[in-house]
Amino acid sequence: MNAARVGVITFPGSLDDRDAARAVRLAGAEAVSLWHADHDLRGVDAVILPGGFSYGDYLRAGAISRFAPLMEELVPAARAGLPVLGICNGFQVLCESHLLPGALLPNAGLHFVCRDQRLRIDNADTAWTAEYTEGQEVVIPVKNRDGRYVADERTLAELEDEGRVVARYLDLNPNGSLNDIAGICNEAGNVVGLMPHPEHAVESLTGPSTDGLGFFTSLVKAGLSRAGVR
Amino acid sequence: MSEKNLDHGRPAGDPDDGPTAEWFAELAADDPETDPFAKRVDEPAQAPEATVPSPLPEAAQVPQAPGTDDTRPVSQDGPEAVPAEGLPAGTAVAQEPAPIHPDTAALAGDAASGGAPTAGEPVHPEATTPPAGTPLPQEAVASQAEAADEEPVVRPDGSFAGTPGDPAQGGPAVAEPAEPPARTEAPAPGGPLAYAEAPAHDQPPALAEAPAHGQPPVPAEAPLHEQPPARAEAPAYPEVPVHREAPVPAAGPSPVDALIAVAAPVPAEPPVSAEPPAPSAAAEPRPAAVGEPPVDSVAVAERTPEQRQPYVELGMNEGEYRRVRDILGRRPTAAELAIYSVMWSEHCSYKSSKVHLRQFADKAPQNDALLVGMGENAGVVDVGRGLAVTFKVESHNHPSYVEPYQGAATGVGGIVRDILSMGARPVAVMDSLRFGPADAPDTQRVLPGVVAGVGGYGNSLGLPNIGGETVFDACYLQNPLVNALCIGVMRHDDIKRAIAPGPGNQVILFGATTGPDGIGGASVLASATFDEESQAKRPSVQVGDPFMEKLLIECCMELYREDLVVGIQDLGAAGVSCATTELAAAGTGGMHVVLDRVPLRDPTLRPEEILMSESQERMMAVVEPAKVERFLEICARWEIPATVIGEVTDTGRLVMTWRDEVIVDIPPGTAADEGPVYERPYAPPADLAALQADTPGRLARPANADDLRNTVLWLAGSPNLSAKTWVTSQYDRYVLGNTVLAMPEDAGVLRLDDESGLGVALSLDGNGRYARLDPYAGAQLALSEAYRNVAATGARPLAVTNCLNFGSPEDPGVMWQFARATEGLADACQALGVPVTGGNVSFYNQTETQPINPTPVIGVLGVHDDVRRRVNMAFPAEGHMLVLLGQTREEFGGSEWAHVVYGHLGGLPPLVDLAAERALAAVLIAGAREGLLSASHDISDGGLSQSLVESCLRGGLGCRITLPGDPFVTLFSESVARAVVAVRPGSEARLGQLCEAAGVPVTQLGVVGGDSFTVEGLFSIPLHELREAHERLLPSYVA
Repeated sequence: MNAARVGVITFPGSLDDRDAARAVRLAGAEAVSLWHADHDLRGVDAVILPGGFSYGDYLRAGAISRFAPLMEELVPAARAGLPVLGICNGFQVLCESHLLPGALLPNAGLHFVCRDQRLRIDNADTAWTAEYTEGQEVVIPVKNRDGRYVADERTLAELEDEGRVVARYLDLNPNGSLNDIAGICNEAGNVVGLMPHPEHAVESLTGPSTDGLGFFTSLVKAGLSRAGVR
Repeated sequence: MSEKNLDHGRPAGDPDDGPTAEWFAELAADDPETDPFAKRVDEPAQAPEATVPSPLPEAAQVPQAPGTDDTRPVSQDGPEAVPAEGLPAGTAVAQEPAPIHPDTAALAGDAASGGAPTAGEPVHPEATTPPAGTPLPQEAVASQAEAADEEPVVRPDGSFAGTPGDPAQGGPAVAEPAEPPARTEAPAPGGPLAYAEAPAHDQPPALAEAPAHGQPPVPAEAPLHEQPPARAEAPAYPEVPVHREAPVPAAGPSPVDALIAVAAPVPAEPPVSAEPPAPSAAAEPRPAAVGEPPVDSVAVAERTPEQRQPYVELGMNEGEYRRVRDILGRRPTAAELAIYSVMWSEHCSYKSSKVHLRQFADKAPQNDALLVGMGENAGVVDVGRGLAVTFKVESHNHPSYVEPYQGAATGVGGIVRDILSMGARPVAVMDSLRFGPADAPDTQRVLPGVVAGVGGYGNSLGLPNIGGETVFDACYLQNPLVNALCIGVMRHDDIKRAIAPGPGNQVILFGATTGPDGIGGASVLASATFDEESQAKRPSVQVGDPFMEKLLIECCMELYREDLVVGIQDLGAAGVSCATTELAAAGTGGMHVVLDRVPLRDPTLRPEEILMSESQERMMAVVEPAKVERFLEICARWEIPATVIGEVTDTGRLVMTWRDEVIVDIPPGTAADEGPVYERPYAPPADLAALQADTPGRLARPANADDLRNTVLWLAGSPNLSAKTWVTSQYDRYVLGNTVLAMPEDAGVLRLDDESGLGVALSLDGNGRYARLDPYAGAQLALSEAYRNVAATGARPLAVTNCLNFGSPEDPGVMWQFARATEGLADACQALGVPVTGGNVSFYNQTETQPINPTPVIGVLGVHDDVRRRVNMAFPAEGHMLVLLGQTREEFGGSEWAHVVYGHLGGLPPLVDLAAERALAAVLIAGAREGLLSASHDISDGGLSQSLVESCLRGGLGCRITLPGDPFVTLFSESVARAVVAVRPGSEARLGQLCEAAGVPVTQLGVVGGDSFTVEGLFSIPLHELREAHERLLPSYVA
């Protein structure tokens, strides 16, 4: 069996790119480094947009990276079904790219917040959450400055009705996200945006849990099954 | 990209923003389907970060524009001096219509922009440089000059051998145990007497005696037992303010507004820099009437030997200035004066501290791990498996008081570049912060800004923050301490030096462009005592761009990987001056720099300003000609401006040209290494004897179980001991994926090698109260604590860094504290076998004549052969046995208990016992390696009580213990060389053997379990009540 090849994009200012790559490897897949300025997805089976402060979050988080040359390749590929996971800053880029609806505003407390966050997986059918069961509770670090998810009422209703809220904050909403939303997906379920960092919960030595590994192992399955279709 | 810095202070899309702005405009234009939310979000989304928070009222900034102050010397001596000397030969000077004196005009920080336009014109910090030369803190400068006038102490030639007999010293320089008077005239119970009797340091009684199992380890020499009778009639024990009222913000604008100014998306009063129509630096035309001032070249200097120069304003004294003239054989040019003034400032030259710091090298213990010792940007230590670690702590105190966010942010940025320039990848940061009282209005201005700055910069760099301290004390109210540490990792082969060898090699400046940031910051801001005028210096603080620094890190990693640099140096204090002189001095000895090539953010900058600018995120590399092209390619890939500005020569001279004229021609070593060295006089502070005599023995102690219970809660919720989650949750501790332990653990622990588990532990500690009572012991106690913290995780302590925060060295009392502290630290490092690898001195931390408590902050680095065997502080499981390691003495001098309950500071700090510290560390390390310990927590501030509270809360499990001896002493004494450990079932006997072998006293306390902190027969506190007390304070003040 060939390991799934998962691309991790590095934008200028990406910070958790190597961590995402490590998580991919721990999940048994091959991590492929992708450069923002290339026009080449290198034939990967899936793509992760990692956390960080790409372009320093200047102008608006994700607003500049959205125009990276690589995004011109990624957006159509994602619309065609390529599994894409945006973590934190990656989620912001996906929203700015309109692959996902809504936007991420500065946290309600206006501070950067780093904490071990309890979450509930509300959609276990996406390309990135198939390893979980619906309603499963996990602990994954959240660390962001602009993590408050907002969308208009119609969009929110749509997300809720279609079960596209992938994960929700439990106990405490760290950033004021509407409906305690921690992550969402697109209609097809192949594009997921997540504010918490599952790549920092893949080893008990360095994370609060290993609950985040499921996002990457889910992908391995999903990625492989889609590999033939691509 | 080069304009990135500007974005900080400006609304996006400012038409003058240059290429970046154009690009933004394009982006906006070709985005027809912009999400309505994104649009709406626009303003708030960027505001909090994009604007430089301005905690000062606008009024405080604008009117201070210097040019309007006609007392400045610039225009006054200009007209006289120039015609007098300049006419015969200096045609350029003579032709110049505007009679602005060449040096002074430039050194005063661009007289054109500062003085000529009307005061009402919007002040743009990027374009104007209000504070540079003109309204310098006259008192500060004057006082330095005065000090210097006391010629006997000045050794302008650096040879301090022929010191005349240190007039003010009067002998007591070596009178270490201090204050005989204190002992004779202090009949006070305990206190100094106790110490006088203790045969002390060399002969730790704990080790001499057999480990006393369960025996109340009350030391024989503690005569404080006479106390109890007195206690009966002592005033009632204070009422415990268990639920201290959060300070109701005064109706006035102060605290809350200060917070809002830092945090709110749109500051009510937009900072000056955010003024939308502010013209960009480039666009603002210089008044035509002035034109470009003539160049003060070497030729001009030779022709005008008598020209008066503003060396006093630049912080130099006459002796130093004369020495420069002697070195050069003529008067210095303005540019040369700029270089010498910053390089010989206290900040860069360590002129007051050097003679004391030498001990760190002289007394350095034999240690094979040290690969690069002091003197480079940071020391380098071998940690095994071909890996080396470099780490260093540095202060950014004054800037953080003036502008908390940027001051703290650029403090992190600076230390990270130090580490980067050693060839290492920075892998983590820590911060040691000290503020005034937690409820002081100004603390509520400074603290949130500093924390946001440390977090904002470090988080954006992708460096985990793994530990540090947050301490409150009234002495730091106007002198907060912001000490930032960075640690980096490299392979042995990759170690880089700040050298410029090989004639013909190219000198490349890369990173951010150069603007007027922090001009004079090094020599003036960093060494001026604060007074009312400090607000006028605000624009001297540098502005950071962490995004640029992140790119620099990645860019340097690629440059190192391809072996493209011969030497490299970061640009910090004194900017280009420092980098060029130091690189040249450490290399072949010569360098030629074409200063016009330095890429400028503000094209009006004069050469002297370029030399002094402290613009952040810049590096200088020396590159072989054949590798320049590839070097520039990599920079381009990371969108980093890089410019060849000169080349290495073998002339032994640092030569700089500007507009084709030679403006600098000096032997670089004279600026970099041969600065003045002072042996400042010192003597114990006048109040020390009385302070040491005022022992805590007179303070009433908890009289009953209820008082004890309340004291546990009171201390757990006091500012220094309460949870710092509000601070640390603003720091990313996860990024890079190698953080094994982070705050509030005893030490931060990082994995360096995935396979072997090789890792390091780091702790950063200080205690200004201890050091105030006895600076020699205080420095040793800080080292002891950091050493113990590292060992508590199971790491083997290896090396030391330090940040020495003191008042003015011109105050003999402060100088005595400094001398004692450095001696104490050097001696203790020798005794513990851990060498000092580098550090930083911060003087002038005082308000008028009131210095801060001397505050040596000590960082200890330890090695874990396998981080998977680290031990943390959380009580892990029901039933594990709890054991106290070490001996408890009755020691309350400088304790948290005395501080919190009585605001008392007096007596002597706990006895230093380095042998016991070493023995304890051996047990903790072996216990971790053998897997005997399921939890381990050091005992320090607040005593055993606080350690138990923290370990219970961390693990969410209570404990049931029995106290040996006097419950109050056992719970709250701060004796050193102690830890509390939880033992894995079945490992008790083995631990006992280890302790016996090492001579570490063992006291069985009880077991882990339940949901309360229970002391049998005395009290029980439910964990939720403890948690409430421990966690509520900080949020209630600052949130």
